[in-house]
Amino acid sequence: MSTAWHIDEDLSRDYTQGRIDAVLASSVEAHLLVCAACRQSLVPAVPRARLDRVWDDIVAVVDAPAPRPLERLLCHMGVREHTARLLGVTPSLRLGWIAASALALLFAVLATGETTRFGMLVFLAVAPTVPVAGVVMAFGRADPAHELALAAPYSIVRLALIRATAVLGVCVALALVTGLALLNDRGALAAWLLPALALTSLTLALSSWFEPLYAGAAISGLWLSGVAGTALQSGDSALFGSAVQLLSLAVAAASSFLIFVRRKEFS
Amino acid sequence: MIDTVVLDDVTKTFGRHRALSGLTFTTGPGVTGLLGPNGAGKTTLIRLLATVLAADSGSVHLLGRDSVRDRLEIRRRLGYLPQDPGFQRGFTVFEFVDYVAILKEMVNRRARHDEVRRVIGEVGLTDVSGKRIRTLSGGMRRRVGIAQALLGEPELVLLDEPTAGLDPEQRLRFRDLISRIGENRTVLLSTHQTEDVAALCERIVVLRNGASVFSGTPEELRGLAHGQVWVSGERAGMLSWRTAEGMFRNIGSSPPDADLVSPTIEDGYLLLLGDVPSEVPA
Repeated sequence: MSTAWHIDEDLSRDYTQGRIDAVLASSVEAHLLVCAACRQSLVPAVPRARLDRVWDDIVAVVDAPAPRPLERLLCHMGVREHTARLLGVTPSLRLGWIAASALALLFAVLATGETTRFGMLVFLAVAPTVPVAGVVMAFGRADPAHELALAAPYSIVRLALIRATAVLGVCVALALVTGLALLNDRGALAAWLLPALALTSLTLALSSWFEPLYAGAAISGLWLSGVAGTALQSGDSALFGSAVQLLSLAVAAASSFLIFVRRKEFS
Repeated sequence: MIDTVVLDDVTKTFGRHRALSGLTFTTGPGVTGLLGPNGAGKTTLIRLLATVLAADSGSVHLLGRDSVRDRLEIRRRLGYLPQDPGFQRGFTVFEFVDYVAILKEMVNRRARHDEVRRVIGEVGLTDVSGKRIRTLSGGMRRRVGIAQALLGEPELVLLDEPTAGLDPEQRLRFRDLISRIGENRTVLLSTHQTEDVAALCERIVVLRNGASVFSGTPEELRGLAHGQVWVSGERAGMLSWRTAEGMFRNIGSSPPDADLVSPTIEDGYLLLLGDVPSEVPA
């Protein structure tokens, strides 16, 4: 293809040194695309280091994997890119697990429509165990790369805490959505929060001694037995009175202290 | 030689099972092979060196540091390939190595990606860095595992059975890769393959029942079988098998008129683990 003009020496020097305005630079680049002679004449004038730097920048953008939807969402919420990736691979933050958690909470909420007293107990008993299940699946042997994580310098307790926080956040959101949509007793909606916090923090604390899965199963089992026992004896939701709420707060605080004291034992 | 790995009277038990029993050995830069039958304690030892496990008693010093007190410092200078690296479902090669790089505290995205590209290139997987790991062959997956172990140019690299399940061609490629890795690092290679050890390792430690029964060079291991390998027309010795020439190759206490042949490392290893303790030098 023939062109009407060619890049002269002055223009070539100004272009390679970045001393021309954007409009003229675009015109030069359009010409370079179709004129082999000008491309050849420009080659010696372009600094090699600059070319390498530009090429490295292109490779960095092209090669970098695109963040997954959850990672993008977390980054939009202000989570740092590397933390978003650590959260993005959490087994219990995958869509399938979140859907299963939502379903469990939905059935628990629907149970409240069956009978006033026991239906509510089902919701209040099951809802706190959903985040516990999510937390035990967030780290430990449930994480395929757990062995590599153990041998890496990144703090395991930090990894466990950020994942547990994210899982707890998702479960609270799910419970709020299902509860607000379907529950008549809005007080019950808040009643499970402190027990949920207590159970998850206790599970985390016990994970410094035992495999998280075993710790979570034991805590959930004890909780469900306690709820069932209380319901059979007193026949009301005494477990969710102010005394139990205060006890839950105390357990959560004591568990947090234990996690801090035993932070090195997680790895 | 600088001793980068020093174990002194190390014991590790799981319930009633004693996996390591008074294990003592030292090694330094280059490739050291850990040989031993199933259940000898190789994986326990590798996990202990990776600071994933702590010893019940005894001391472990890695790169001049105490493995319990200074484990964070050691982890920053360590590369580890477990038997099962635990690839995340659906990850590409780049994504998986990038994930491990984050666990290795590489938080700067640009610098981390440069390092990820470097190690992927080092194991020859640049062309498949965007492919999902589950679509790769067994040999390529192992190379992905090695790539993550090379992140951050570690001084100590631990490889647990890196050639298990690979075909001969892939194993030869691995030998090339591991020997290059061992040129300027301490590499501990746990394996069942005596051929890999013979080809790669400057030193060998043989484990049996959680203790070291041999520590030396491949030549010294081979030397254990000197005068105890012969060929004959009929089966004899502790172990014997028919060769392609129709003769029997025998290992054990040889008769006076035996037609002795040059032993291999495998012969030395078999004698070491065999039921002829009186014939094994101390």
